[in-house]
Amino acid sequence: MARFRNRKTKVFVKPIVKKNQQQQSNVDHITGNKIPKSFVFSRGKLPGPIRQLQMDLRKLMLPYTALNLKEKKRNNLKDFLNVAGPMGVTHFLILSKTESSPFLRVAKTPQGPTLTFKIHEYSLAVDIAQSQLRPRCPQDLLKNPPLIVLSGFAAGNEHLKLTTTMFKNIFPDIDINTVKLSSCQRIVLLNYNKDTQLIDFRHYSIRLQPVGVSRRIRKFVQNHQVPDLRNLQDVSDFVTKAGYVSESEADEEAATVTLISDLSRVNRASTKSAVKLQEIGPRMTLQLTKIEGGLCSGEVMFSEYGNGGNKKKPDSEKGTEKEDDDNDDEIGDSDEDNEREDNEEEDEED
Amino acid sequence: MTMEEGNVAAGKRKRNIGKKKGNKTKNKKLKMLEGKGKKLRVSKKMRNLFEKRARDYNSDDDEEEEERKEKENTEAAATRRGGGGDNSSEGREEEEGGEIQPGVMKFTEGVRAFRVAFKNIIKRNIANDSLGPVLSGHKQLIAKKLAEEEAERKVKGEAKKEKHLVAEKGHVKPANYLDSHEKFLIGIATKGVVKLFNAVNKAQKAQKGLDPSRSKDAKMIRKRSKEAFFSELGKTSFPVQNSSSKDNTSCDPSNDEGPAWAPLRDNYMLTNPKLKDWDKMADSAIVDDVGRMSEDSGSDDD
Repeated sequence: MARFRNRKTKVFVKPIVKKNQQQQSNVDHITGNKIPKSFVFSRGKLPGPIRQLQMDLRKLMLPYTALNLKEKKRNNLKDFLNVAGPMGVTHFLILSKTESSPFLRVAKTPQGPTLTFKIHEYSLAVDIAQSQLRPRCPQDLLKNPPLIVLSGFAAGNEHLKLTTTMFKNIFPDIDINTVKLSSCQRIVLLNYNKDTQLIDFRHYSIRLQPVGVSRRIRKFVQNHQVPDLRNLQDVSDFVTKAGYVSESEADEEAATVTLISDLSRVNRASTKSAVKLQEIGPRMTLQLTKIEGGLCSGEVMFSEYGNGGNKKKPDSEKGTEKEDDDNDDEIGDSDEDNEREDNEEEDEED
Repeated sequence: MTMEEGNVAAGKRKRNIGKKKGNKTKNKKLKMLEGKGKKLRVSKKMRNLFEKRARDYNSDDDEEEEERKEKENTEAAATRRGGGGDNSSEGREEEEGGEIQPGVMKFTEGVRAFRVAFKNIIKRNIANDSLGPVLSGHKQLIAKKLAEEEAERKVKGEAKKEKHLVAEKGHVKPANYLDSHEKFLIGIATKGVVKLFNAVNKAQKAQKGLDPSRSKDAKMIRKRSKEAFFSELGKTSFPVQNSSSKDNTSCDPSNDEGPAWAPLRDNYMLTNPKLKDWDKMADSAIVDDVGRMSEDSGSDDD
């Protein structure tokens, strides 16, 4: 397969993969399912910040995406399709910009449905890092695929169901029996707001912090900085002094987990640790505007602005059939030991 | 500035060409006179030549008379001037003459002429305004050009700004990091992660003591996974109804009616109702913690 990949470099579309990266398997050896891979690219010339957004999205989709994908002006969608087949790419994320606002299209290859989202607002990863006091980016953060949490989608109608299906399929599944908690380091959250019909898209990094330990001792152990004992009479003062309790520690109560194995020096097995999230990566506010049956073509199944473009094509039926197959596959997938993250918040507030 | 320089250079060239012609005739005369007491005569003629050159070198006619007077005054004193920095005039002379003509006086005349001209230019520069050393005729033109350039730049700047605004549309820089909505979203995500981690812990703890290599344990693993399979079936219906929760956590109240598709229900084509929980019965012989798990899934199905 490595030979195949090297030979397949086309003239104009060159997905350049890092040389020392191992050949990615198409099939997950644990679950036996196909690992979804994606391309993130843009149609048309994009102004500066949107190009950065595209780069951020690529980093988000790592490791199963082409980080250094280069595209030329004259590349059509067909070119990408042709390359996608042999490389096992299953999803396209396409960014484009009109005068009003940027758009994001999520499409499943080769004939899958296309969801068009209008991006109302977005923030780049660098903006978020600048707004934080202590931005975190550990080195191997992007080595493992992220988890995904969808919330607020249940109340919606079929279009939202398709959205959830699509997003669930973009990220690879995790098997709860064999997954290592140390490899779950990122999480993508999609929250649907019924009132405004907007979807919030966030990207966090997960951090575990031992709980029940006073702040000073924890900092001392983690940072290896020799504390200042000038004003203390005895070491016991340092250890037992009741330091101030920060506001976030109260929230930690609900977020404690008991670990099953040693994750790091401080997070040991069968001790309680708190889960702390810190935002990295881009932040987007999306609105679903259109669903098409084919890959950026085909019958328009849902449109925010009424039935503007109802193109009846001969393969439209095939398109809808494909969608049904997708749904059936979804059921089939969940029969195994797979687990996908879902959260239901609809009845919480009642 | 460049325009002016070009003009000056062109002018110089023109002058040079003219002088060459003039020189040739004079050279002939000089050669003829070489044998005699040529120094004085040569110097006189050369002096005139130098004066002429100096005159042409200076652009203003005002300076001419001054120059001539200066020359006459300083001629005697200017026997040998340090001609170090005077390569240009020397070169010019050589170029024009075509032959190297000896004569200290010539050289110093040239030196003096150059000196005077240079001084005038420097003097003028002090009095000048921001436009720089410009020939008087071109001043207005250059001022106009600069004004035009500035106007152009302004227009371009505005167009750029508009473009920039359109490009940045929708780009929001988060002002302060944690406002209430963000906290709410982080809370949701944290809950999800906690659920997942707890489920993973439970599942993996149960398997902790077991080793997949031993056949007995492998059987146990298979059985447990089968339970998870069925419990998953019980909860996970089509996405139409609900999205799934984890198998070990408590299910949502809306899940109680079971799967919508008939064959997925546990009592599909079940003739003997006693056999409803056949998989639970098979597992009753297994150890306690597994029994606990089956209880959970049993409650889910009911």
